[in-house]
Amino acid sequence: MTGAASLGARAAPSTSKVEVDISHRYGPLVVHEELRFSVMENEFLCVSGPSGCGKTTLLDILAGILQPSEGQVLIDGRPVDPKRDRISFVFQEPSTLPWLNVWDNVATGLRIKKVATPVMRRKVDEIIEIVGLRDYETYYPHQISGGMKQRVAIARAFAIDADLILMDEPFVSLDQPTRERMQREVLHIWEHRRRTVVFVTHNLEEAVFLGDRVVVLSSKPARIVAEIDVPLARPRNPLSHEFTHIRATCADIMHTLGVRPPRNATIPKVTS
Amino acid sequence: MNGGPVKVSGDAGKRSARLAPAVSSALWNAAVLCAALAAWQLLTLVVNSRFLPGPVAIARAFVDLAVNGDTGGRTLWEHSVASVERVLVGFGIAVMLGVPLGLLMGLYGRVYANTRVVLEPFRFIPPIAWIPLAIIFFSGMTRFAFLIFLGAFFPVFTAALIGVRRVELIHRKVALVFGASKGWILAHIVVPTVLPDILGGMRVGLGAAWLTIVAAELAGGISLGLGRMMSNYAELVQVPQVIVGMILIGALGFLMNEVLLLAEKFLFRWRWQVTL
Ligand SMILES: Nc1ncnc2c1ncn2[C@@H]1O[C@H](COP(=O)(O)OP(=O)(O)OP(=O)(O)O)[C@@H](O)[C@H]1O
Ligand SMILES: [Mg+2]
Repeated sequence: MTGAASLGARAAPSTSKVEVDISHRYGPLVVHEELRFSVMENEFLCVSGPSGCGKTTLLDILAGILQPSEGQVLIDGRPVDPKRDRISFVFQEPSTLPWLNVWDNVATGLRIKKVATPVMRRKVDEIIEIVGLRDYETYYPHQISGGMKQRVAIARAFAIDADLILMDEPFVSLDQPTRERMQREVLHIWEHRRRTVVFVTHNLEEAVFLGDRVVVLSSKPARIVAEIDVPLARPRNPLSHEFTHIRATCADIMHTLGVRPPRNATIPKVTS
Repeated sequence: MNGGPVKVSGDAGKRSARLAPAVSSALWNAAVLCAALAAWQLLTLVVNSRFLPGPVAIARAFVDLAVNGDTGGRTLWEHSVASVERVLVGFGIAVMLGVPLGLLMGLYGRVYANTRVVLEPFRFIPPIAWIPLAIIFFSGMTRFAFLIFLGAFFPVFTAALIGVRRVELIHRKVALVFGASKGWILAHIVVPTVLPDILGGMRVGLGAAWLTIVAAELAGGISLGLGRMMSNYAELVQVPQVIVGMILIGALGFLMNEVLLLAEKFLFRWRWQVTL
């Protein structure tokens, strides 16, 4: 964290917004064992790790829709509660509701949060414009492409002014230009109104481009094997020396993954 | 977006593309109907028996029944209204009880698992087998509503019960993350998912309702109803009038089915059509 603060790219994160201290198993399958970390207020945290290590499970627990076997998630010191906390979630799998058209899908969160109709209309129109679906408002999910469906899901998550945004590999189904545009858009929205983001990705370039910090998880049971600060000012240049250096560091760590770190091993903390 | 309004193929020129198949389907159905009637009339000319009346003789009987009424002076209209009324009341009660019960038992599997020993056997007792008891216990509308309810309840109930399993975990998650209540999830996730099944069940139930009403009306003790009318004319061995009743039952059932199909078309615009 020191690097981020010293570079002054943004206000120094002071309070921790999300505190995680959980163990979780599905029956005999231990997914998380004493997984502890916190996310600072307004921090953009990227999480990476091998497939099946429990990232989606972690986000479900963070969102308060899955009860961990042990421990809890605190948001601003209180146990997470999706009814009270404004949380949005961009799921890894397709999640549009097939019986609603694009516009109504995007409005879902605002409707559940009982936002007044004029405000809801404005917010939905605004975010649909941003994700580039203006001409498809009345289309049903089966009439649009997979990438467009994902953009609907992203718009739905950003339509409510969430305090905690959880994203589970949200851009994998998008083509390169659209993905880059969505990355910039997400950063733009986030910089416009700061909030806490936990972003899961396998793409290190993406993690280093977006995050204040990248957390790398081991395979099951998931533990934090590395924590990399990304103290670069935004907008970041993926071709710059610092950027490539941090990315290479992450790649090295990912390479040696699959090897479970011994208990109580010191977590390599890389700061450039 | 990149390139702007690139139209999804198949959706350009929506209107004309949608209307044409409907018109052609109507024309086809009309042609098939005419051909069937012509073939029938031809057959009666060949066979030439009092017990095999042709469409013309039946049309005559239809007009006579509609204008002058039957032997008791009751018109076709009165008979039809009586039957339709009974069907709608019994079917309505079946839907009003079958849908919520099916949803409840689908959502709380334990309720179904723990009560099915009482519930399920009823499904295998044909409503017609209830007629003797119904005659002893009930009279008038209550009797018919009861019997039709027995016929229509299970198709609707079972459709809702099974449909609940179709609700996808991810859709529930979408709602839960935003803090949706159980009621919201029921109304906005469960019901839209199950509704196509329920409408399918209603169409099956409607068939069962007509099956039951005619059988129940044949049983006697009443003077109105299409089944009653057919039974009377069968005793008099007047075949055309019996066939008029049969055709009317088919036509009324068909019309009700069309109403449900129309509702499906309107409600489920979001569904896609699979063709092989
Ligand atoms: N509902 C469940 N019941 C039982 N096991 C589950 C359930 N959900 C997930 N798991 C198991 O938990 C482990 C972690 O799954 P999870 O979906 O969290 O992985 P992930 O890190 O998101 O993987 P990926 O990167 O492939 O998306 C997997 O081994 C999976 O089989
Ligand atoms: Mg996952």
